[in-house]
Amino acid sequence: MVPHPGHFSALKEIIEAKEEEGLEEVEEVFMGGSPEVMGSGRGVLHAPLIEEIREQTEYAHQHGIKMDIAMNSTCLGGHHLTFEGYKMFKWYFSELNKAGVDGVIVAEPYLVELLRDFPMKTIVSVLSYVDAPQRAKFFEDLGADVITVDTNINRHFPLLRAIVKAVNCDVRVIVNEGCLYRCPFRYFHYNLASHLSSLNQPRSPLFAPDYYFDKCINIRLRNPTQIIKSAWIRPEDVKEYEAIGIKSFKLSGRTKTVNWIIECMKAYAHRSFKGNLLELLDCPQMLRFMFYVDNEKLEGSIEQWKNCKKICNECGYCDKLTQEVLTSIK
Amino acid sequence: MKEEISEGRKKLEEELRHLIGNIFVPEAKVFGMVCGCVGFAADLRGLQYDDVDVFREKISAILEEISKSVGVEPEFVYARKLPGSEEVVTLTVRELCERCKKEFAGSKASPRPDIVVLKKNV
Repeated sequence: MVPHPGHFSALKEIIEAKEEEGLEEVEEVFMGGSPEVMGSGRGVLHAPLIEEIREQTEYAHQHGIKMDIAMNSTCLGGHHLTFEGYKMFKWYFSELNKAGVDGVIVAEPYLVELLRDFPMKTIVSVLSYVDAPQRAKFFEDLGADVITVDTNINRHFPLLRAIVKAVNCDVRVIVNEGCLYRCPFRYFHYNLASHLSSLNQPRSPLFAPDYYFDKCINIRLRNPTQIIKSAWIRPEDVKEYEAIGIKSFKLSGRTKTVNWIIECMKAYAHRSFKGNLLELLDCPQMLRFMFYVDNEKLEGSIEQWKNCKKICNECGYCDKLTQEVLTSIK
Repeated sequence: MKEEISEGRKKLEEELRHLIGNIFVPEAKVFGMVCGCVGFAADLRGLQYDDVDVFREKISAILEEISKSVGVEPEFVYARKLPGSEEVVTLTVRELCERCKKEFAGSKASPRPDIVVLKKNV
C-alpha cells in the first residue's frame, strides 16, 4: 500500500513508475479525504471533492490498483456522535462508496462500526493503536477487514504472531515510520494533527504549533540511539514478517514529494536498499540531513529485535549498534 | 544585499497590486537550506490560485528578476497554497541542490499538491 499526495498528476506518475518497474507488489494507494468532513493523522495538502476521488479511483482501477481514503482523525470533538455528525459521515461514506473507493482508513471505533453498512473495506488505522490480540479482536468484531497494527509493536514478534493468530482479518504493518519508540507525545501529537488538518481549529493561534515535532527531533539529536530503536523495518527484513503470516505492508508518506514516494516504493518492492536508511523514513524526514545510517550494516539486527525483551536499560544492544551503523553528517 | 531584499519585497508587492489588486507582502527573505538549496521567498496575503494561474508568466518573470538581484539563480519557481484551499501564501524561487533537482523538481507532477510550479529551468 503506497501513499498518494492527492493530486491526480501524482497518482499517474506513481502508477507509471510502478508499471515501468513491474512492481506487482503494489496493489493499493491511499490519500487523504476532505478536511471539510474530518481531519486525519497527517497534514492534508489536498482536499479532493467526491468527483475528483471518483475520477482518480476509476483511473487507479484501470491500472489494477485499489484506492483507499484516509479518514483517521484521532479526535472528532464528539461531532461524530451528534445527529448532524452521524448524518454527515453516513453521507460521506455513501458518496465514497458510489465513487468506487475500495477502502476507508479510520481510527475511531464508531466509524469502524458505521462502515459495516458499506461494501468498502474497513481499514483500521495505525492510530487505533492496536498493540495486543485482545484489541485486535475488538476491532475485528466491530467490523475491521484490515488492521494496521501500532508501530510500537513492529519489533515485538511474539505479539505480532499472536495478533495474526487471534484474528481472521488481514494484519498490516507500516514499514517506514520513524517515530520514537513508545513516544510520550504520540497520542497528543496525533490529536493536534487531527484538529489542525480539519476545519475544527483551535480558537486562537498556537504559540508552539510544532511542540511535539520539535521535542521529537531534539530528543534524537541528543540521543541518536532513539533513531535505531524506532519501529522502521528495512526493505530486506520484510520477509521476516511474511514468515509470521503478515502479508500486507504499508508505506507511510502522503505529505512527501512524488519522487520520494516513488523511490521508497521501489526500495520496498525490490526488498533492497543501499545507502542511508533515513532516506526511506517518512517521519521525521529532517534527520536524513543530520545522520547517516548505513542500511547494509544493519543486516542481521532483526534477529536480535525479533527476540528482544525491550528492557533497554538492561540490554544496550541498540546503543552498541548505533555506534557501528550511525554517523553524523558533517 | 539588505537593500536588494527590501527592494525586492516592495517591487513584488507593487507589481502584484498592479496586476491583481490588494495584495500584501509582509515578509521577503533569502534562505539557505540544509540540503544545499538556496532561494528567495515572499510571504503573501490576498493572492489566490486563480490569480497565479492567469498571471503565471508575469509573476514568474518578476520573481526571476528579484531572485537574480539577490544572487539566486531562478531554477525552480513555485507558489505554495495553504493546504486544502486556494489561498497562495508563499512565492518561492529556488536554486536547487542535486538532491532536490531530482526529488523536489524531478517529477512531471507537482512535487506536492500544495505546490504550484510556475517555472522550471533545470
